[in-house]
Amino acid sequence: MSIGIGIVLFMLAGAFSNGVYNASYVPMFLVGLLVTFCGLIVWWRQDMSFDGHYEPLAQGVPFKNIQIRKVAMWIFLMSEMMVFTSLFTTYIRYRTGIENCQTIFERGDWIAQGYTVEAGEAINCFEPASALISTSWFHIAPGAINTFALIISSFTIVQALRFAKMPVGTIDEDVRRKKIYRYLGSTWFLACVFLTLKLIEWFVGFTLPDFLAEYNNGHTHIASLYEEGYLINAEHYHRHDGSWHDPVTGATMLADIRVSASTFYVTTGTHGLHVALGIIGLTYMTFKAWTGGYTPDNAVSIEYFGLYWHFVDLVWVLVFPFFYLY
Amino acid sequence: MGHTIFGKDIYWMNFAGLMILTIIEVAAVGLDLPNDTTLMILVGIGVPKFIMIAAIFMHLWGDDDSGVLTLTALFPAFFILVMILFIGLTHPEAATGLPEWCRPGTYN
Repeated sequence: MSIGIGIVLFMLAGAFSNGVYNASYVPMFLVGLLVTFCGLIVWWRQDMSFDGHYEPLAQGVPFKNIQIRKVAMWIFLMSEMMVFTSLFTTYIRYRTGIENCQTIFERGDWIAQGYTVEAGEAINCFEPASALISTSWFHIAPGAINTFALIISSFTIVQALRFAKMPVGTIDEDVRRKKIYRYLGSTWFLACVFLTLKLIEWFVGFTLPDFLAEYNNGHTHIASLYEEGYLINAEHYHRHDGSWHDPVTGATMLADIRVSASTFYVTTGTHGLHVALGIIGLTYMTFKAWTGGYTPDNAVSIEYFGLYWHFVDLVWVLVFPFFYLY
Repeated sequence: MGHTIFGKDIYWMNFAGLMILTIIEVAAVGLDLPNDTTLMILVGIGVPKFIMIAAIFMHLWGDDDSGVLTLTALFPAFFILVMILFIGLTHPEAATGLPEWCRPGTYN
């Protein structure tokens, strides 16, 4: 699987090298996908028959008598923490190091310096996505719903684990099977809701009924970030709501926001990728639960995946306020 | 983990707490408070949410192996601090903008 993922990433980088699409990398990209998929199938076939016997325990200090897989999962999560820390650090660095676009607009010297739509010259400044997202409750809604969806999904996976761990004899086995696959299925559904809303927020947008327009500054359409022009290649960006328009001179400020958009999309996109990978795992686990594959002996598999899923929730707890709200 | 909070199941209580904190978080942004106040509220809510998920949902509190796993989880904390303090919170003019008394050659 690692080899497959490696091929996929290298070919993807080759296919879009320097922003130019090169189709010659596509066949090997597909081979990489196939290798990854075959690896997943082998992994799942092995796991389907795992009944909990021979769960290896660590023998040496400091993890003596703790399941090796659990320790490995924690170490993996710590490496993941470093990945997200580097993304957060980049964000903090640029957010504090590059002057805020709104501050520049309010100062007013951009007109004399010629950073206007009319002149076609853009000033490099930081425009946080929250400047667009937190303009109304309806813009915040997808992110806020996603936050609740992830918290609920953390709870549903804990419940799946609880029913899987109940000792034999304390619960009817068919009830156990149904409880586990329904809770895991709910987690899967909420993860799909998360990604769907993220895609709506990024690319699609949505329309409100007329009676709600008064709560959205008179507009019925909630524009996506794509429609707003908030893109990683936005070197000539200006707000579409007219808030960067100077009524005295009639000029509109023009900004280069590629850095701010890049930090937003890379960080939230990396998190979204983790959710997508979680959906792949949950698809398999829900299927296994549906076949009655989980018992108190092998419930730890749900626990290990749960650790990953809680971590995804944990990262969102930081991403949501600092990328969406502030 | 068989603990309870106020006699209620710990997972339910944690879940309810997280939901309430998130509602406060979103409401705080809708209130149009000054930027610094909003930031303080977001950090003030984000930290307990982070701890609640890690301690209770991820079992870093209350289990036999919680202690050693918490230490494992804290291991990258040093590197995280270094990255945030010495990269994230530095400024483009951090070196050239230092006061005269702490530039090379003028330490005394």
